[in-house]
Amino acid sequence: MSVQDLVLGLHGFWAGQGCYLAPTYDIEVGAGTMTPDTFFRVLDRRPWRVGYVQPSRRPDDGRYGENPNRVQKHFQYQVIVKPSPAAIQDVYVESLRSLGVALEDHDLRFDEDNWESPTIGAWGVGWQVMLDGLEITQFTYFQQCGGIDLSPVPVEITYGLERLEMFLEQKDDIYDLDWSGDVSYRDLRLREEKEFSEYNFQAASVAMLRQAFNAAQKEAGRLVAKGLLLPAYDMCLKCSHSFNLLDSRGAVSVTERVKMISQVRALVNDIARKYTAGREGA
Amino acid sequence: MELLLELLTEEMPASHIRSAREQLESGFRRELDEARVEVRSLRALATPRRLIVAADLAEGQEDREETVTGPPLAVAKGPDGALTRAGQGFARSHGVDESRLEAVSTPKGEYLGFRRLAKGTPTAEILGTVVPRVLGALSFPKMMRWGESPFRFSRPIHGLLCVFGGRVVDTAFEGFAAAGATVGHRIAAPGPVRARTFEEYRDGLARSFVVVDPEERKKRIVAGAEAALAPLAARVYPDPGLLEDLALNVEHPLVVLGSFPEAYLDLPLEVLATAMREGQKLFSVVRDGEQLALFIGVADAAADAKGLIRRGNERVLRARLEDARFFWAKDRESPLAERAAGLKDVLFQEKLGSYEDKAQRLRKIAAYLCDKIGAADVKAPTVEAAALCKADLLTEMVKEFPGLQGRMGGLYARLEGAPAAVHQAIYEHYQPAGLEDDPPASLSGAVLAVADKLDSVVGALGIGLPVSGSSDPFGLRRNALGVCKIALERKLRFSLPLVLDRVLAAYGDRLTLDRAAAKAACLDFFSGRLRFILEKRGFRYDLVAAALAPGVDRIPDALARVEALDALKSSSQFEPFILMAKRINNIIKGTPAAKVNPDLFAEKEERELASTLSIVSGNAQPMLARGDFARAQGIIFKLQPVLNAFFDKVLVMAEQKKVRQNRLGLLQSISRMLLEIADYSLVVIEGEKGAKPRAAR
Repeated sequence: MSVQDLVLGLHGFWAGQGCYLAPTYDIEVGAGTMTPDTFFRVLDRRPWRVGYVQPSRRPDDGRYGENPNRVQKHFQYQVIVKPSPAAIQDVYVESLRSLGVALEDHDLRFDEDNWESPTIGAWGVGWQVMLDGLEITQFTYFQQCGGIDLSPVPVEITYGLERLEMFLEQKDDIYDLDWSGDVSYRDLRLREEKEFSEYNFQAASVAMLRQAFNAAQKEAGRLVAKGLLLPAYDMCLKCSHSFNLLDSRGAVSVTERVKMISQVRALVNDIARKYTAGREGA
Repeated sequence: MELLLELLTEEMPASHIRSAREQLESGFRRELDEARVEVRSLRALATPRRLIVAADLAEGQEDREETVTGPPLAVAKGPDGALTRAGQGFARSHGVDESRLEAVSTPKGEYLGFRRLAKGTPTAEILGTVVPRVLGALSFPKMMRWGESPFRFSRPIHGLLCVFGGRVVDTAFEGFAAAGATVGHRIAAPGPVRARTFEEYRDGLARSFVVVDPEERKKRIVAGAEAALAPLAARVYPDPGLLEDLALNVEHPLVVLGSFPEAYLDLPLEVLATAMREGQKLFSVVRDGEQLALFIGVADAAADAKGLIRRGNERVLRARLEDARFFWAKDRESPLAERAAGLKDVLFQEKLGSYEDKAQRLRKIAAYLCDKIGAADVKAPTVEAAALCKADLLTEMVKEFPGLQGRMGGLYARLEGAPAAVHQAIYEHYQPAGLEDDPPASLSGAVLAVADKLDSVVGALGIGLPVSGSSDPFGLRRNALGVCKIALERKLRFSLPLVLDRVLAAYGDRLTLDRAAAKAACLDFFSGRLRFILEKRGFRYDLVAAALAPGVDRIPDALARVEALDALKSSSQFEPFILMAKRINNIIKGTPAAKVNPDLFAEKEERELASTLSIVSGNAQPMLARGDFARAQGIIFKLQPVLNAFFDKVLVMAEQKKVRQNRLGLLQSISRMLLEIADYSLVVIEGEKGAKPRAAR
């Protein structure tokens, strides 16, 4: 099974569970949780089911294409189901079987792991799912987002596609994975990893990134005041990515770090508050 | 009659399970006791998905006589003693023969009433309300909601099994009606398992790959590892904490023996063990103290017939070790001293500044401590280690494996050729990690560890960070215990109040509390930790309280004080000594401080007491100063005969004020001397009121 087959398999499975298959979001994010298909949709009371592939950018994880496990961009398969169904663990286990994993021959574990993202004021309770000692999924009952207590509670299932694929292909090097029959992960991603590692760690202009952060932050504040919440949130995502790049450039001091994260969080919390205020009882 | 209860949930964390077992046992015992249901035996078991109670209970409450009261006697009976209409009505409404009516006295006066035998309620019925009450009262360190309910629990609930005497109890919890069946292992045997008795439950689940008793699972892990390693003449490197956790992480433990390439044995043992333990929860394997390229893992599975679980774990471990090897090589490219410059950008605590700030304080505190404990020869290396000890927070290895902090710095410093006293101090400065962990083996390590922990405690308490119950984010209890443990074992007799002054001074104006308040909070905190340690060592609570009453100064002295009291306790002098001290304290209680003037002595006995006191005091002082409280106590006891004669012949409360104050002054000086050892009036002697332990705080 190739990465492509894995994505198709998950799409098929979750579509079968009534999920809307969302296109990948077009702004850089650190995790699938941060895109509007999760962030805004978990805030209100309406049922929501979605599945999508989202590239996750973590500039600091860049290894110039030399590490067999770590990359500064990887792919997540993100599922949100709200309210969390009683049988969701069984459904998840079934999704693994649907990918051809004969679970009777393996050790599947739900290990305590509580997730939080200070930048978007979100946290949840759940597990990292381990398959023979390999973490393949983050499984979280979302408790709070944008500083707001969530009700009903959404469940978030985030598969690490490369991890899962390495398990399925029994390979030790991420670049050896098959993307599709004749395209390898190396073909697609190696050059990108090399160049972006150099960009993240050496080449990115600190001055430009600071300007970008400040501009997006200012714009977000202006848009929130106008009630244009989705565009405002996009600006917050841009802030977050600029911050991550500044961080990987080693340009963020201790006090600055705390300040910048709390600036973005304050904006995001504002957006969440206004969004839910407009939807009360919806 | 047998009670079997199982709450089926999604996988709970080990810490939640431990706490839930305790809460279930105490909760059911308390509720059943209140409901007057006899508990013959009761225990809580658990798996990651199940909270289980198995108990032997009486079939019902005991029958008991109860009194039913009616109208006041004055209303119920006429002047002639015959029943009024009200009295007859009462009898009729209860269907009681009038001959059974009698006068009942109550605090409110005399009433008409009768006695009857109340049939006890069947236990099954009582369980109907007790079960949801006990389960609903369970609380966990971090609770969650799910679905559309506001209810909070450890993890989502999936079912309730509750059987008493072979019959399903009519009860429910959070929408789950009690049933007489559960399900087996999530993967290996997910089908239903019927249970009417504990035996049927345990055996049925065992066939469905679930071992319900955590102790049994632990035994299986130990036995499985021994069986796998015996042929290799090897054994698991003991890790009791990991074993406890694993026994609560799996329903069906399966021991897996795996290996990794021998090339990785070049890595330090600390790194190997941590890479295996953290994340993958694998045990290290040793033979004659030598690490082997093997590991023992514990899976939650029926079998590993195809070896896929073993191979999967081997692959994951290999990747981690490869990372570790990369970090190990990369970290050594820049020396610690160079790395330490980056500590200014690493936050220790928002108000308390960066790790660079902390390192600067540690240098001052460590230098001060070395002076105070007469450790001049390790002063230079300890101060050097203080400057370097946090630098490993910036190494790749510690970023990946935070549990290696300190130890990595020590290993890197040694490779850089630092003197032993320097690299050992860095290596050991987080020790002891708990009450069971060893304190630093080197003197420089002990000093640096004390300095680091004091700095954290003073800083956190000085900005008013709360420590309460389960909330101790800074690990202040562990840090304070660590300081006490090191000071006790090494007999480091620095004056805690003076060291605190030094630490407070090193913080400058960073703290929010003023220095006096911060110091008082620290001393109080340390006193509490010392009480905990001393009581845990088995000293009687009142002796501990008496020994701590003079205030905490030199930590080893607190132990010496309580040891002196403890020795006294088993001697024939105990009662007379305590009585002597109590008698003095009772007399001088509330009297203003008075000076002794020998010219005012009128009686022979008081003159003798004064002269004996001056000899005793002269002999005792040097012993008190060096902390030899047992000897000092023995010498002070020599006062007893003259003191008895004094009390026999001399009236302390003399009419003449000057004489009276003079005599009180004499007793006050004895009391002050006694208080240098302990507050003896807090010691309880037999037959005295209050010989009950103080309630735990």
